[in-house]
Amino acid sequence: MEVSSECQLQIRLITKQGLYAVPDVPLSVPQTIDTKSLNDLVNQLLKEANPEFLKPKDFDFIVIGELLRVPLIEHLQERSVSTEVTVEIEYIERTPAPEPEDSLLHDDWVCGVQTADKWILTGCYDHSVNIWTTHGKIVTSLKQHTNFVKAVAWIDKSDPSKGFVSVSHDLTGIIWSIEPGTDKIVPEAILRGHERGVDSVGVSPNASRLATGGWDTNLKLWSASLEEDEPALKRSRGGNAALVKTPLHTLKGHKEAISSINWLDNHVVCTASMDHTIKFWDAELMGIKSEIVGQKAFLSSSWSHLSNALLATSADRHIRLYDPRSSEGAVCKTTFTSHQLWVGSVTWCGYDQHLFLSGGYDAAVKLWDARSPRAPLYNLQGHQGQVLSVDWSNDKYMVSGGSDNSVHIFKNKHV
Amino acid sequence: MGNKQKTEKNLKRRIVKETAKLESESDQSDEEDFLNVVNNEEADSSDGDEEIEDSEDENNEFTEEESEADSDVLSAGGGEEEDADEESEDIDDSEDEEIDEESEKDESASDQEDESSGEEELQNESDKVKTKPKKGSAIEKTSDSSVEKTLNKSKTTIDSASIANVFHEYDHDTSDEEDIRNTVGNVPMNWYDEYKHLGYDWDGNQIIKPETGDQLDAFLKKMEDPDFWRTVKDPQTGQNVVLSDQDIELIKRIKAQKIPDVTFDEYAPWIEWFTSEVEQMPLRKFPEHKRSFLPSRHEAKQVSKLVHALKMGWIKTRAEQAALRAKKEPEFYMLWQTDDGAEDMRRIHKHISAPKRLLPGHAESYNPPPEYLFDAKEIKQWNKLKNAPWKRKLHFVPQKFDSLRKVPAYPRFIKERFLRCLDLYLCPRAIKMKLNIEPESLVPKLPSPKDLQPFPNVLAIEYKGHTDMVRSISTDKSGQFLLSGSDDCTVKVWEVNTGRCVKTIVTDSVVRSVEWCPNAALSLVLVASGQEVMLINPNVGDFVVSSKTDSVLREVPKSDAAVPERVRTTVQWAEPDEARYDRGVRISLQHFKEVTQVTWHGKGDYFASVMPDGQNRSVIISQISRRRSQLPFTKSKGLVQCVLFHPTKPCLFVATQRHVRIYDLVKQTLLKKLLTNSKWISTMAVHPGGDNLLVGTYDRKMLWFDLDLSTKPYQTLRLHGTAVRGVAFHRRYPLFASGSDDRSLIVSHGMVYNDLLQNPLIVPLKRLQDHDDFNDFGIFGVHFHPLQPWLFSSGADGTIKLYSN
Repeated sequence: MEVSSECQLQIRLITKQGLYAVPDVPLSVPQTIDTKSLNDLVNQLLKEANPEFLKPKDFDFIVIGELLRVPLIEHLQERSVSTEVTVEIEYIERTPAPEPEDSLLHDDWVCGVQTADKWILTGCYDHSVNIWTTHGKIVTSLKQHTNFVKAVAWIDKSDPSKGFVSVSHDLTGIIWSIEPGTDKIVPEAILRGHERGVDSVGVSPNASRLATGGWDTNLKLWSASLEEDEPALKRSRGGNAALVKTPLHTLKGHKEAISSINWLDNHVVCTASMDHTIKFWDAELMGIKSEIVGQKAFLSSSWSHLSNALLATSADRHIRLYDPRSSEGAVCKTTFTSHQLWVGSVTWCGYDQHLFLSGGYDAAVKLWDARSPRAPLYNLQGHQGQVLSVDWSNDKYMVSGGSDNSVHIFKNKHV
Repeated sequence: MGNKQKTEKNLKRRIVKETAKLESESDQSDEEDFLNVVNNEEADSSDGDEEIEDSEDENNEFTEEESEADSDVLSAGGGEEEDADEESEDIDDSEDEEIDEESEKDESASDQEDESSGEEELQNESDKVKTKPKKGSAIEKTSDSSVEKTLNKSKTTIDSASIANVFHEYDHDTSDEEDIRNTVGNVPMNWYDEYKHLGYDWDGNQIIKPETGDQLDAFLKKMEDPDFWRTVKDPQTGQNVVLSDQDIELIKRIKAQKIPDVTFDEYAPWIEWFTSEVEQMPLRKFPEHKRSFLPSRHEAKQVSKLVHALKMGWIKTRAEQAALRAKKEPEFYMLWQTDDGAEDMRRIHKHISAPKRLLPGHAESYNPPPEYLFDAKEIKQWNKLKNAPWKRKLHFVPQKFDSLRKVPAYPRFIKERFLRCLDLYLCPRAIKMKLNIEPESLVPKLPSPKDLQPFPNVLAIEYKGHTDMVRSISTDKSGQFLLSGSDDCTVKVWEVNTGRCVKTIVTDSVVRSVEWCPNAALSLVLVASGQEVMLINPNVGDFVVSSKTDSVLREVPKSDAAVPERVRTTVQWAEPDEARYDRGVRISLQHFKEVTQVTWHGKGDYFASVMPDGQNRSVIISQISRRRSQLPFTKSKGLVQCVLFHPTKPCLFVATQRHVRIYDLVKQTLLKKLLTNSKWISTMAVHPGGDNLLVGTYDRKMLWFDLDLSTKPYQTLRLHGTAVRGVAFHRRYPLFASGSDDRSLIVSHGMVYNDLLQNPLIVPLKRLQDHDDFNDFGIFGVHFHPLQPWLFSSGADGTIKLYSN
């Protein structure tokens, strides 16, 4: 690359954060300017505009829709953009690095994690479902399952008192409820109907229905309500034992195990499967709405309600961003590559449409910006083995569980 | 000049002559005159008549000529004339010879006319006339004879005769056609309207127009002159000409559209010189030869040659040629041939032209630059190489001469030319057809691995937990669990997707072979541990299935049939005790020798176990549902290494050290014996289609047998450096893999086509080398995921690795 360092580029700095606005004038900067120099430049400009702006801030720069990670000229040349015109550079306040908060030690691998408010729900390979506080105190450990607990989910993330659900390789799922007044947690209903291990569970946004899927390739829909007037409910043997529920609907369509379930809204379920497909089901009409065919077995997926895009991980080291609405071109919009091994789980951030979290079998948890496909924003280190589950349900905490028998909590300083 | 003009001219002449004769009243015939007119140039100036001279130039001239002619004719008789033309000579010759005949004819002619001629001159004339067409002869005779007697009449007749004569005599004399009196040539005469004269004569004098009178004169003339009506004006000379009777006659005949020649007989009898009738009889006396009726063989040959050439397109029909010509674009060619281009030889195909001689350089010059001249050292060098002249740089010593003149003859010229001739003569002069085969071109064109995706190529998960070599691995039908058997006497069940060890089953001995039951309704795995073969319920996955399996196996079928002694001593079925039952063991078969391999039949009811040391009892086929074993073979064929059930047919593949035998289990016969050409077979795998078999050997080879094709290997793959210990086919994807002691796992594309004519396509894709070696062992077990394009390998380092695409 024969770029002389004297060459200048015309740039224009823009931002959507009014707090950090700088005069909208084209600036001439060296071609090889990188993020750090730009950062200094913006801080300098801010200081000139506002003398009270004392504490320098860190900014990230977005050029042509992607975060700047290399010198500007290389970034432009990679995308074959002319250097003759004025380059618009949008800058945003840099996402601050998450801080490791705590590590919750379990007896066995942790496969399912979900937070709600200050409670962290974990499913463990020692057949237990545990609730921890965000401060690392164990609240309770429930051993009702007879096999690995593969996934857990709060019925209502905003209101943990409504209970939660866990699914296991013992072919059942259990809806747990918290008895009002006390902290006692009892299994409210047992979801019985799967023929093979259940791998994933999803709760509809209105908390009325559950969807589970597993190795028997069927998607099963359940009612999340605990009213006893529903048919086919019966008390299992023993007085205080839970109800046994049967699925409202069984949706067949996948050829192999369903590995991940997301509710798009109250009527649409999205399932990712090992048979290389992602299917969108209509939960009202009980049929397949649409389908995305991939190249490899899907391991995990996450739907963003903010950007209406689907993140999915396959049996490879990439995370793929799908836009199911796009009709022309590839459905796969972006591929995020940084993990070394399979990516076991992925989840969107709840408040920013660009941020998401991923955990891989290479023991790495990575915080990504969707505009930076080459490199993540941060690597969250701490795990010793495969990361099996990540969660960012509570905006303040990024939680991950893995095969090192621990759950790591990272505090998000952005919120 | 047209005929009309000619006649006019002649008429004029005649008229002039007539007048001249009338005036001079000479007795001489006009014929002579005319002869002399032609020869006038050599005529001497002689006694010309003055009277004539004063009348007109033309007349004058003529009269002169006439007089000259007279003398000529006279002299001609004596033969004195020097330059007499040929014709007159001829006439003279004929004169003497044909005198008699002519005189006879003359007589007869004169009889008719009642006139006789005795004069020699006249006779001569008539003789001359005689050589000409006969028709005129009579007239001539009359005219000749009548010359003296009736002047007027005879003159006219003689004239006409003479005209005829002259015409024939000087047919080719073109000077006759021109108007010799007027030299202006062929110009419109009205150009002279303003002048007194009308052109110029030969001497350059003006030809004065005749005086033309006014109308009164014309009228008077008309009244007085009886010949007025036959007087015409000669446009060339402006003279009045009186037409003779004969002219009138001629004109009349022409007008009447008759043949102008009076003497021509239109109705003469027709003489048919060449007959128009077709003769009936041939002119040849002998009949046609038989040969002429037979088709000619030679011609047939020629015709067939032509037809063949037409067919082959060597020659073209005219239409084709025309089409070609029409199509052909202008051809361009080099005006001068280049030196380097091979010249075309018509007869020698691919002729190599003789190499060109090098052009002489400076050294060859008679006066070379001084640096080319040899110095003492070079001379020494030259002399040193006397015995090896081919090593010399130059084949001569450059010499310097003052001038080209002083250069002596080159003494070796003849010899060198001769040597070159020899070279050319002995040189092979045709291009030798040499077949050049690049080694690369012999390698079959294989598709690029990129196009054969998906195949496992990346290490995804390691399954760690075994403490010793993992000899055998297997997966359940859905691909959720992986089974492994190790030398640490344990069998482990793993969760494929996470690498989690789900279950560990401890056995009593080294586990050499494990296999998951292909029947999805049974939760059973087959484990060969030491001398024992165990059926273990791993109790993972669907608990309904596993509990059902337990209940099914608990019911031991009662059979009265006595177990044969031979079988009983080989294998004994046993129910496990409580402790082992809790470990999952459901049925145990105690063998009399160490079991190295077990394999399920596709339905999951039968299984076979191999004891290489068992000699003729080395293969046992057992049936779970009836708790029964049988020994299919009575004779030992060798050390059995491996057995496999055919995936669809009731066939059994038995691999001994050197051969693979295929038995039909129903008919209990040997179907095929595959010749491996290797020393020691280690393992084999059968393609899910059942028609292809992959055999791995300890001598580093992998053999692909196409069972429909031959009993010899379709392809021998030497991909590994050491013994091949594990081979496997994928059940869905066209993939196979092999693992060997050199720690490498090689994934290959093995496409089998339904089309019987198309041979399997085998493309090695990827070498994966992640296992550590242990005691010189590398990879033992190779197994594909049943649904995904993933590959498991178990190694001597105690790990199992999953490779994903």
